[in-house]
Amino acid sequence: MERGFLSNIELHTSGGRAYYILAIICLSLVAVVAIFPFFFALTSGLKNSTEMFTSGLNLFPDMPLWSNYTEAWTRFNMARLFGNSFVIVGVGVFLRLLVSALAAFSLSRLKPVGGRIIMAGFLLTLTTPFIAYFVPLYMTIVNVPILNISLLNSYWGLWLPYCVNAFAIFVLKTFFDRIPQELIDSARVDGASAIQMLQHIILPLSRSILIVLCVLAFVELWKDFLLPFLVISNPEYQPVTVRLFYVADRYGINLQMASSFMALLPPLVIAIVLQRYMKIGLTVGAVKG
Amino acid sequence: MTLQHSLGADSAQQSRRQSRLSIDPARLRAQLPRQITAYLFLLPALITFALFAWYPMLRSIQMSFQNVNLAGQSTWAGLDNFQLMLKDPAFEIAWRNSLEYVSWSLLLGFLLPVILAIFIREVRLGKGFFRVVYFLPTVVPAAVAVIIWRFLYDPDGGYLNAFLQQFGIARQLWLSDPGLAKPALVTVMTWAGFGTTALIYLASLNDISSELYEAAELDGASPLRRIWHISLPHLLPVMSLMFLLQIIAVVQVFTEPFLLTNGGPGRETLTPAMHIYNRAFIRLDVGYASAWSVSMIVVLAIFSIIYRVVNARLNENS
Repeated sequence: MERGFLSNIELHTSGGRAYYILAIICLSLVAVVAIFPFFFALTSGLKNSTEMFTSGLNLFPDMPLWSNYTEAWTRFNMARLFGNSFVIVGVGVFLRLLVSALAAFSLSRLKPVGGRIIMAGFLLTLTTPFIAYFVPLYMTIVNVPILNISLLNSYWGLWLPYCVNAFAIFVLKTFFDRIPQELIDSARVDGASAIQMLQHIILPLSRSILIVLCVLAFVELWKDFLLPFLVISNPEYQPVTVRLFYVADRYGINLQMASSFMALLPPLVIAIVLQRYMKIGLTVGAVKG
Repeated sequence: MTLQHSLGADSAQQSRRQSRLSIDPARLRAQLPRQITAYLFLLPALITFALFAWYPMLRSIQMSFQNVNLAGQSTWAGLDNFQLMLKDPAFEIAWRNSLEYVSWSLLLGFLLPVILAIFIREVRLGKGFFRVVYFLPTVVPAAVAVIIWRFLYDPDGGYLNAFLQQFGIARQLWLSDPGLAKPALVTVMTWAGFGTTALIYLASLNDISSELYEAAELDGASPLRRIWHISLPHLLPVMSLMFLLQIIAVVQVFTEPFLLTNGGPGRETLTPAMHIYNRAFIRLDVGYASAWSVSMIVVLAIFSIIYRVVNARLNENS
């Protein structure tokens, strides 16, 4: 059944065994490098401030100071920062999926005149580098055209730009296109409105892809730095990633490590618990071009 | 059952006929309520895209021909910004740095995921473990990763120097040594990104049926030849896409150098994206920054066109 490049019989020859052991050693070494920074942050966060610079290769302190974590939690006001991040990311993910699902449904099923051009316009944003238009984007947030309001220091200044995601629209449209037309038509015969069709037929059938997009968007928005860094200058409202950058070097390096480790946990937990969905998301992402 | 089915097919045909005739004005009027619904559903996306993507993109191009301050007042400046840009010593420095970043990143991070994917494919027990572990760095926010890596690289208390000392390697100034700053930064970027690529390759390797390997084995092909003649040709199209995507990503790099070295030592790690940021937000010269943005769009457009051509050709073949 399951085999690699080598068959199971070859694997038991001396050459096969040597290759297999070499592969495992290489993979393990890379695995150590991959998780080392996490581990390093966790254990450094337990050291006292002199141990930070004198312990050499010792990863573990003699006396783990768990109090560093509680101290970092209160000093950095982590509860508040996490709260900010969860509000920014939670609402951002919800709005992005809502806006994208509505647009994808329309393009896929309601056949708007000029739909192809609109889709091309959406996809254009995928090939234009964000970094090339973030200055005028910032100016738009500072003074929204027509409305003449400023979204600076408002979460709407993040949520609305986060709604712009051609990738989600593209993936959802492709998915909606595959739902059998008969289902939609029978609902129409029963007198269902467009919004009811979306709500009762399309969305329940797309639950898996919606979860995948949700997980991807959560990780992406939690990682975002430049936009919240520019838009939210009020320390009270900054997300954890931005605030840590500002305050980290005001405190001892052990507290920095402890707070960094705590800031890593939410996306880390999501990646481990929902790894199945992230894996699907990767292969969906690979074909987006 | 059959009745329902034929009903469905009927109205599907009808809707197809309708859409084919949508140019006819009378039909269009009959279709109007439906079109209004369609556009109501599109409206939130159209508004957000218009305000936060399309308008800024056009504005970026427009401003590159203007003198603009952050308050928004602008006067036309013709090609002044572009002439200034070409004369700016930072232009050559930033793009040369970009080229060096790309080279380092391809050197450190292009083949590594391929090799790892081939190794993982072979593993019989614990595949899932490696998959998860390799993936973990990719979810870490750069702003947090930077705090940890800055301390790993610390010349005095950092773990890297302590580790290398065991092998008799002298203390290095990683982030402030002009020769080491770029590879040190690219290492952080590679650490944060190799997992995704490795998993994409792994998914592609899993598409190959084991029967192919069995057949090759029966024909007497050694494992190495099986990898060379079956797996690598299958990976090659994905590899060429990843190659281009890696270049496109590295040319845009901002957060890591901005947070870790802020362009230093000197201008050794300055990137075009950082220069745009500095010019717009510190010198408040938005028009000039936009000229840089346009140069960036041009460079990346070339790579995206190559990407699209390669991608289209691959889709044709498969």
